[in-house]
Amino acid sequence: MDTNQIHSRLEKKFGSAIIALEEVKADPYIEVSADKIFDICKYLHEDSELLFDSLVCLSGVHYLPTHKRANGVVVEKPLFEIVYHFFSYSHKHKLTMKAVVSLDDPKIQSVEKIWKGAQWLERETYDMFGIKFIGNSDLRRILCPDDWEGWPLKKDYVTQEMYKHMRVPM
Amino acid sequence: MRASVHQVTQTFSTIFKGMMMTLKIAMQPKCTLEYPDVKKSLPERTRGRLFNVIEDCIGCLLCAKACPTDCIRIDIVKREKDEPTPRTSVESGEKPIRFWIPQFDIDFNLCCWCGLCTDPCPTHCLTMTKEYEFSAFKKEDLVYHFAKDSYPIQKKTPPPTN
Amino acid sequence: MSALKTEELIINMGPQHPSTHGVLRLEVTTDGEVISFVRTHIGYLHRCFEKHAENVDYMGVMPFVDRMDYVASMYNDFIYAMAVEKLMEIQVPERAQYIRVIMGELQRIASHLLAVGTYGLDVGTFTPFMWCFRDREKILDIFEMVCGARLLYNYMYIGGVSKDLTIGMIEKIKEFCDYLGPKIDELDTVLTYNQIFIDRTANVGVIPLDTAVQYALTGPNLRGSGKKWDLRKDETYSIYDRFEFDVPVGTGVQGSVGDCWDRYWVRVQEMRESLKIIKQAVNSIPEGIFRADLPRVLKPPVGEVYVRGEAPRGELGFYIISDGSPKPFRVKGRSPCFSAVSVLSEIIPGNPMADAVAILGSIDIVLGEVDR
Repeated sequence: MDTNQIHSRLEKKFGSAIIALEEVKADPYIEVSADKIFDICKYLHEDSELLFDSLVCLSGVHYLPTHKRANGVVVEKPLFEIVYHFFSYSHKHKLTMKAVVSLDDPKIQSVEKIWKGAQWLERETYDMFGIKFIGNSDLRRILCPDDWEGWPLKKDYVTQEMYKHMRVPM
Repeated sequence: MRASVHQVTQTFSTIFKGMMMTLKIAMQPKCTLEYPDVKKSLPERTRGRLFNVIEDCIGCLLCAKACPTDCIRIDIVKREKDEPTPRTSVESGEKPIRFWIPQFDIDFNLCCWCGLCTDPCPTHCLTMTKEYEFSAFKKEDLVYHFAKDSYPIQKKTPPPTN
Repeated sequence: MSALKTEELIINMGPQHPSTHGVLRLEVTTDGEVISFVRTHIGYLHRCFEKHAENVDYMGVMPFVDRMDYVASMYNDFIYAMAVEKLMEIQVPERAQYIRVIMGELQRIASHLLAVGTYGLDVGTFTPFMWCFRDREKILDIFEMVCGARLLYNYMYIGGVSKDLTIGMIEKIKEFCDYLGPKIDELDTVLTYNQIFIDRTANVGVIPLDTAVQYALTGPNLRGSGKKWDLRKDETYSIYDRFEFDVPVGTGVQGSVGDCWDRYWVRVQEMRESLKIIKQAVNSIPEGIFRADLPRVLKPPVGEVYVRGEAPRGELGFYIISDGSPKPFRVKGRSPCFSAVSVLSEIIPGNPMADAVAILGSIDIVLGEVDR
């Protein structure tokens, strides 16, 4: 099934939680509402026509005002995007899905119970951006030291000057 | 019983075969090069230390823009219209040099030996040599200064030294 | 016997350790000799190349991408170049495609030789390690002749390759192909079918297939668990569809499906298959240009792309978001070793300490890719 067919199947089941199908250059994606992410992912994993048994990649993106998103829209308020890439070994189709979260309350449900490999991927997104994944059994920093300050991959990140009496090189 | 006898013969025979193979290889000539007494001859395309023929540099700044680690620092001052414009050498195409180049530093503390700077150079003055043994005791000694011009008077103040 | 007061011991298999293949820290809780709990700590080699990539242009990201999996650096270049080319819809010339496949498969052999050699070292034998490195030196000599560097190549440029292959280099590659075949057979005699090695690795560290799929394991780790899945055949990219080769799958012939011996055996067989691909490619390489004609400043259109390929350690993917400017907006590297390390906390408990080293060696990780 290609992205259009998957989009219509999801829309029939979830209605307004599926926000849009964006036909961007190189890889179209489906944007969904962040509140229903766990139900949508469970459906993607269990439905017999979809059967997405592998979560390939989970990443975060940070946009500040005047930045342009992949669909060409210029962002007005700062926001986070969480991008999921799925793949199905049985049906051999793939899907890119995005959920948008605002900076005031960067929280989203974790999909660890569906794909166990999501635990480390979500930890990495938390470490780099500060997005909290509710339901992740072990949400703490993974790549940076545990007492590091700040979220490195955010666009307005400024490195701390000193870390445990050592100067942090710029 | 039979299975264990088979396992014992299997163990001994595979270990014996492995040892015979090792003995055979041990009889062959050595393939180790004893550096630093013997140094390997390097191929032509080796990416060693950078070298810039400053007489051929036209000050286009393409190498500084291409460097991913910002290790090339160049300062250029435009020549006045009435000043004579020297040209680069015959091999590099006799291009006009429209800038004074008072600073052309390459900081080998930062260089990652990718070779991305040699690609866009229009006169091929920036090349990679075969030198790889050039360690120093101080960080300042690894900053190589290639420029020969000094700052033209009443043109520009030189940048702060740091 | 009176009741002995026993408690569990926490041992640190610390970041500096000869068997952890890099700076990996395993906090191991043992009950006697048997491990009961493992907590993995990574991040000792984290350089955050994704942040650096936002400050340089698309070609300047190439040296950073090299340094992800520094043992199989050509393949990182290959897949990143493919990702940018898909975003910009660039056609890569035929000769460049053949050169990329030859270099990629040579890199796969070099990477597997290192994996196999260091696995022998972990398990306790020193000789196959030396032999694998002697053969790997020959491949590194070929790479040095072609692009000038031995480990971090920066050879595949966007639109092709940076330098052409001459007739002398192609002859040297053909010589190497004839040289390596018997050497892999020697390796089989000394290590693969050696009973001590089989006792050490068979039935150890079994990863069932559904665990492997849940944790998104790919590459030889997934094929060792019985799934016949290779991106070069099933989601073919570049010109891999023109070559004939098999995909080895673990069958549990020495122990169970998905044990350490199966994963090791899949790597040895893959070396033979890569040799087949190189021989076919070298015999049919066409003449032509080696690099597409592109503007000096690359400005992709607004959009995003996710491209993946079969790197020696699994499925390596790059997710690039572009906003139309010469610098990428976001680059994310999906590394196969990250998922491989995450499965350790499920596989290692229940085994003795020595088996932990055997399992760690069999999943073949490189910390540069785990931490990026």
